[in-house]
Amino acid sequence: MSQERHPIEGLPAYALGALDKEERAVIAAHIETCDTCAADLAQFEDALYEAAAIGAIDVEPPADLRRRIVLRHRGAAARTATGWGGRVPEFLRRPVPAAIPIALALLLIVAFGVIGATRQQADAYAHALAGVADGRVVALAPTGANPDARAAVVIPTQGSPYLIVRLPAPPAGKAWEAWVLKQGASGPVAVPAGTADRGDVFMLSLTAPLGAGDGVAITLEPASGSAQPTTQPVLAIEKT
Amino acid sequence: MPDKADDMRLIDRIASGDADALGELYDRYGRVAFGVLYRMLPGPEAAEEVAQDAFHSVWRQARSYRPERGSVRTWLLAICRNAAIDWRRTRGKRLEREVTIEAAAELLSDARVDERVVSAMRAERVRKMVGELPKEQRDVLALAFWGGYSQSEIAARTDTPLGTVKSRVRLAMNKLRESLEDER
Ligand SMILES: [Zn+2]
Repeated sequence: MSQERHPIEGLPAYALGALDKEERAVIAAHIETCDTCAADLAQFEDALYEAAAIGAIDVEPPADLRRRIVLRHRGAAARTATGWGGRVPEFLRRPVPAAIPIALALLLIVAFGVIGATRQQADAYAHALAGVADGRVVALAPTGANPDARAAVVIPTQGSPYLIVRLPAPPAGKAWEAWVLKQGASGPVAVPAGTADRGDVFMLSLTAPLGAGDGVAITLEPASGSAQPTTQPVLAIEKT
Repeated sequence: MPDKADDMRLIDRIASGDADALGELYDRYGRVAFGVLYRMLPGPEAAEEVAQDAFHSVWRQARSYRPERGSVRTWLLAICRNAAIDWRRTRGKRLEREVTIEAAAELLSDARVDERVVSAMRAERVRKMVGELPKEQRDVLALAFWGGYSQSEIAARTDTPLGTVKSRVRLAMNKLRESLEDER
């Protein structure tokens, strides 16, 4: 097998995972029997995944992910809830609705290479996150209300926690309101933690204290703010 | 930067059914693995789900890991990437499959590098090389790596001749590889 021509031309694309099925199968078979090409491939992958590690988004994984991975393989039944179950109010658990045509059309435009506001916002959001000098960064999950929304809680080593948010501008007379979710005796209690009447990428200081294990959510509210959430959150996390 | 021999011992322990070794592997590379998944998937819930799948694949495939074919980190991240692409094809809604293209726009963000998982000198060489690549080459790398698109899909989507896409992939990958050549 190893006497046949080495697929030198195809190796870089193979390493990148960019070959179509048939071509990929041919090279995979060759590599099994050819140490020269296997060593070449290892060098391509080594450099590529070094780049991937740099390009990966540096966020704190969910706190109990490690425990669930270990428990699953220790034979013990891992907790089935993904951290969103249990005492989370119903509004945090609504399923993501089907894509609406307008949103889909927008995304397809982006997909076909028209660089619009969305791309710039994504960059601005990434830059804002990258600018966090120290402390923990915990991402909020977007809900069905706006799958494109992004937000992360930054918990600095010194100073107060704040949010980095990417959301469209709220409709006239409305504002985005942040909530700190505390565990009460009969389920979570949402404490108002500040409003913002702007869109795009922005920072929002949490005006309520964020304790260990508290959650955070963002909802759309009247511009003057609400005492309790009146709409579904656009972004939420049960526990930081 | 964790030591290669230590990594290998962990894989041996995982292969022999030691779940705590899987936890130790997570301590070393869980964050970068999650970061790769987070970049490729629509949100933290999906990244979390796929991270569990990926570590389960590590558990099942540990016996077949071959150190001469690459580092443990590269092996793990490749498993994560494949699992993310698989998730998008089978479980991602149409919207979610498309949304990641936006995130794929650049191979490297300015994201802070976690020094526990990236050796500063290697990272700097690779970062510099990627920065020097022409934009068309970077975009092709990003679409293929983060977006999971094949060369022919990229050609169709970007309205570029397939031959051009292929030569961009080759040039870019060869330069990436050269960036670490001094080590060898
Ligand atoms: Zn060969």
